[in-house]
Amino acid sequence: MTVSLNRPAVRRAAAFAFLLLLWEGLSRLGVIDPFYLPPPTRVAAVLVTLFADGEIWPHLQATFTAALLGLIAGLVLGIVLGFAAALIPILAELLEPVMILLNAIPRVILAPLFVIWLGIDLASKVALALILVAVLIFFAVYSGIKEVDQRLVERVRTLGGGRAVLIREVYVPSVTTWVLGSLKVAVGFAFTGAVVGEFVASSRGLGYLLQFAQSTYNAALTLALIFLIMAFVLVLFAASEWLERWLLHWRYA
Amino acid sequence: MLSVRNVSLAYGANTILEAIDLTVEAGKFASLIGPSGSGKTSILRAVTELMAPHQGTIDLDAPLTEVGFLFQDDALLPWRTARQNVALGLRIRGEPQTAANETAETWLGRLGLEGFGDRYPRQLSGGQRKRVAIAQVLALQPKLLLMDEPFASLDAIVRTRITQELLDWVERERMTVLLVTHDLEEAITLSDVVYVLSQGPRATVRARHEVAIPRPRRVVETRENPVFAQLLKTLWNELSDSTSVESVNA
Repeated sequence: MTVSLNRPAVRRAAAFAFLLLLWEGLSRLGVIDPFYLPPPTRVAAVLVTLFADGEIWPHLQATFTAALLGLIAGLVLGIVLGFAAALIPILAELLEPVMILLNAIPRVILAPLFVIWLGIDLASKVALALILVAVLIFFAVYSGIKEVDQRLVERVRTLGGGRAVLIREVYVPSVTTWVLGSLKVAVGFAFTGAVVGEFVASSRGLGYLLQFAQSTYNAALTLALIFLIMAFVLVLFAASEWLERWLLHWRYA
Repeated sequence: MLSVRNVSLAYGANTILEAIDLTVEAGKFASLIGPSGSGKTSILRAVTELMAPHQGTIDLDAPLTEVGFLFQDDALLPWRTARQNVALGLRIRGEPQTAANETAETWLGRLGLEGFGDRYPRQLSGGQRKRVAIAQVLALQPKLLLMDEPFASLDAIVRTRITQELLDWVERERMTVLLVTHDLEEAITLSDVVYVLSQGPRATVRARHEVAIPRPRRVVETRENPVFAQLLKTLWNELSDSTSVESVNA
């Protein structure tokens, strides 16, 4: 296989490698203070140690569990509430202002409240991830249904379709496209919820480790954790994309 | 088959059609022509109960499930294949999947789309999508077929071909049809009766003409019939009386 600079992926990788080299060089030459910005090799070494002595696993498990549970529960809650609000006007009347308010505030400010209510363990992190995701998905579903292509609705009705057929043939597929469009953002939100929840109060998790690294002024550990979280989010992005291509195969056929 | 008596239609406080009277007899092809924006489409929407008349009555000699509605645009379910789109109405009527798919495939074949059953709408051309939409409606073998400028979006060659195919079907099956269009030539070519709508708002039926051209008809040859030219002139004058030339062409 020939590696050609004509491909964007190759150009990006080359630029990334160049930046790493520059960073490494400047840090070693003492141009930038390694206390603030340790060279990439040291960050990598910290990462290797974290995995080698197994110290990272319980933290990874804690953050992943919180993020994934929050993501799934948030998706379910957002979809159910979105559908319910779109189909039941009185519910929309009550829910809409609450959701608009929740959407307008930085929802992470709820973290301390969840700790008080649910304790410093998993539940408060799941709750924060859930509320971040649920509000996002609620609007995707709710406005998705309200903006459903009316031509399709009329078409199915004139073919004799009732409410059940409309939901199955028109609403669910349209909403699926909307939800999948928000899925990547939701994945990011779920991790934000889990990690921020751990910042606020916890005894485990990547957020807890980050908090520890910051309080000990350990820049290498901080960077290592940031890169680790990035890597995992990218993996989940790839999974979301795969899911999107599978569920929306009619778009890519 | 269909009788519309003294029907007025309104969007909110705006009356768009007033005191409409028209009849479509079983086995006849009727057209309603009028300038764009005169509210022609609303008549069809009222017949299919997508819209309630403000006043007047609509009598239909068939249940609504026996009425086919061919819309102006060719919006198909984008997440369903051509075959699934055609089978949809049959499935709604309770046909099992295999039987519905077979019928759908037959209809796709009749409309020259053999082998296209597995394509999604976005993989089809405009003309092909229109054929799928026609197959979707005809597969239900409606007693009454309503059409809303169904060929407006097609180029002239495809349009002539599809019009001929439809004409053949209508004549063979003695289907009852109500077509709404602003295309005078299309209306004359296809119809037994042409109703002329006046310019809106508050548009109403201002004339009714029988088209004395024998069937079966050929789309291209019908235009050479002297009746065609005479009627075209009459219709043109009636429409020009009530509207500007621009809006007829629009």
